[in-house]
Amino acid sequence: MSLTKATEARQRRTVLAAYLLIAPPLLLMLLLIFFPATQSIVRTLTVDVDGNPGLSLSRYVDFFQDPISVSNLIFTFQVTLITLAAIFIFCFPLALYLRFSTGRLAAAVQVLALFPLFVPGIILAFALIRFLGTRGTLDTILSTLGFTGYRTPYLKPEGIIFALLWEAIPFTVLILTAGLRQVSDSLIESARDVGANSWQVFWRIILPQITRPVLIVFSLNFLGIFGSFTIPYLLGPAAPQMMGVFMQQTFGLYRRPDVAETQAVITFIICAFVGLLYVRTVVRQRIGQEKS
Amino acid sequence: MKSRFMLLVALVLLVAGLSVQAQQRSPIYVYTGSDTNISDWWMNFIIPAFEAEFPQYQVILTIVRGVGGGTTDIANRALAALETGDDPLVDLFEQIDPDSQVEWVEAGLFRELTEEDIPNLVNVNPATNRLPQELPYRGSQVLLAYNSDFVSEDEVPTTYAELIEWIKNNPGQFVYNRPDRGGSGAAMVTRAIFEVTGQDPSLFVPGEAREDLIEQFSLAWDLLSSIHDSIYEGGAYPAGNTPVLELFANGSVNMITAWSDQALQALNLGLLPESTRLTQLQDLPFTGGYASAAIPVNASNPEGALALANFLLTIPVQESVVTEIGGFPAVNWDLLPQELQTQFTSVITDRVPTWPGGAYSAAMVEGWYNNVATNIDRSS
Repeated sequence: MSLTKATEARQRRTVLAAYLLIAPPLLLMLLLIFFPATQSIVRTLTVDVDGNPGLSLSRYVDFFQDPISVSNLIFTFQVTLITLAAIFIFCFPLALYLRFSTGRLAAAVQVLALFPLFVPGIILAFALIRFLGTRGTLDTILSTLGFTGYRTPYLKPEGIIFALLWEAIPFTVLILTAGLRQVSDSLIESARDVGANSWQVFWRIILPQITRPVLIVFSLNFLGIFGSFTIPYLLGPAAPQMMGVFMQQTFGLYRRPDVAETQAVITFIICAFVGLLYVRTVVRQRIGQEKS
Repeated sequence: MKSRFMLLVALVLLVAGLSVQAQQRSPIYVYTGSDTNISDWWMNFIIPAFEAEFPQYQVILTIVRGVGGGTTDIANRALAALETGDDPLVDLFEQIDPDSQVEWVEAGLFRELTEEDIPNLVNVNPATNRLPQELPYRGSQVLLAYNSDFVSEDEVPTTYAELIEWIKNNPGQFVYNRPDRGGSGAAMVTRAIFEVTGQDPSLFVPGEAREDLIEQFSLAWDLLSSIHDSIYEGGAYPAGNTPVLELFANGSVNMITAWSDQALQALNLGLLPESTRLTQLQDLPFTGGYASAAIPVNASNPEGALALANFLLTIPVQESVVTEIGGFPAVNWDLLPQELQTQFTSVITDRVPTWPGGAYSAAMVEGWYNNVATNIDRSS
């Protein structure tokens, strides 16, 4: 009897210690993220476009009626989705190669694929200006090869996409390779035995098994790109702008904190949906692990 | 061992002797928050030259660039010292706006400078438009830079209208940066605003913005939109002064707006092509500004501070503003050596328009983004 009591007490202490340990990050999240975010959302709904109190959607109506705001939002979606597509097109072959090859060359490719991880965005932006700009390295190489008529992507949407893709490679390749390692060789071999070609192996065997890593790559990259600032600020066009740059400009330059807040909440809601996708994926994985 | 000990003693004595020597010279405490090129220029040129001429003074320069509020903090410290009667430990600010804080103005923190105190003030260019507390001593102005290999002498624009015409006739050859990302691009935009409001910068004064003036901005947007497609890469506006200079340096464009000091320094360093020429519009120049030093009323070494202030306006120092830091002199150009004047003849102007900033800037930047940079019609 006393023994079980002692065990119970010890268990209670362990639980308490666990909660104490997670309390600081939890409080930090609540105080620095959830609380101000909720405050902002409430404010955009309870103070209207002219600053009068009262429940109203006028700030959102204003946002969606302004052609420039809408074009910036659409532009942000376009850049995000095109970049995501490019990320998958570039990173899938790379990850497959790294999964199924061994040897020195594969190791070298792995190092190269991870290299962007160690380059800060601002350095990348300036390096790309030098590399991609008019009369930059690429232009010079092309014209020595006899190809003239190069149009630089610098200060155009292509410039943003190019740099964001470069930045996303290491993370994407890491996650995809890790996911691919969980696909067992025997499964692939047996598929090959019954006559599946490479495409069928990829589409029927590999892809269904790595939906989770793919979803994680999709959602985390989406969040990073949708809210990116440095790259579009330095490499992108003056108009249209991505939401990060647009918000900063509205807040700092036009001196319209209310409008910037509305833009931020809209961005936040879009990102929250994608965040939900990520959380669901991870939670499902957890539950799956606990069951097995 | 013993000899080493003796050497040490001798060294200590020497250092002690030197510091006694230093204490005999009265210190002038100078604070600067300006960029490296300015603090280097002070360390390597101004201070040695001043101390050679006035051996009784020792200039102690403290660099507060990027430290807290910079010189503003030091001025607030001087204000606190003024109230308590303590030594503010600052005799001269290398650069500060004496009217930027209401408390400073109300307390009369900065000394009004007269020609009796500083005889060289008589030479100061009236274009500096100085406050009584200000000692303007170096300036910078936005200019046109062009590559003379590709732009012939007779087609160089001398008025804003000619510049617009040149840009239209030479699509892709001109670029300016976004007006919020650097003064050289902002000057292109503010000059368009001056152009459509009758070329009279005196209409624009700091403080409350005039609605009737802001309404006329739309004419400037029409003007700048008319050259949008003729800008580099069909309307690609870089995000800073330096990217514009780089596009010019690598030959992507043949004409830009540029800060005089940045362009001259880049030229001296060989970063711009040798065929680079600088010129100023003759009808109404681009905007510019002067940096002013100031002396707090409670400076504990006013004689030293005034002597240093006077020294800053001497011809050798003003010459070095041009040659060392690529700035513009604050004294009249005709006091500088003839060869320097000839070299800069195309950029010399006695008019330096200023842009008031504040609400005007917010309207200028937002208007430009919404009407010039984008092809979307906001009114639709």
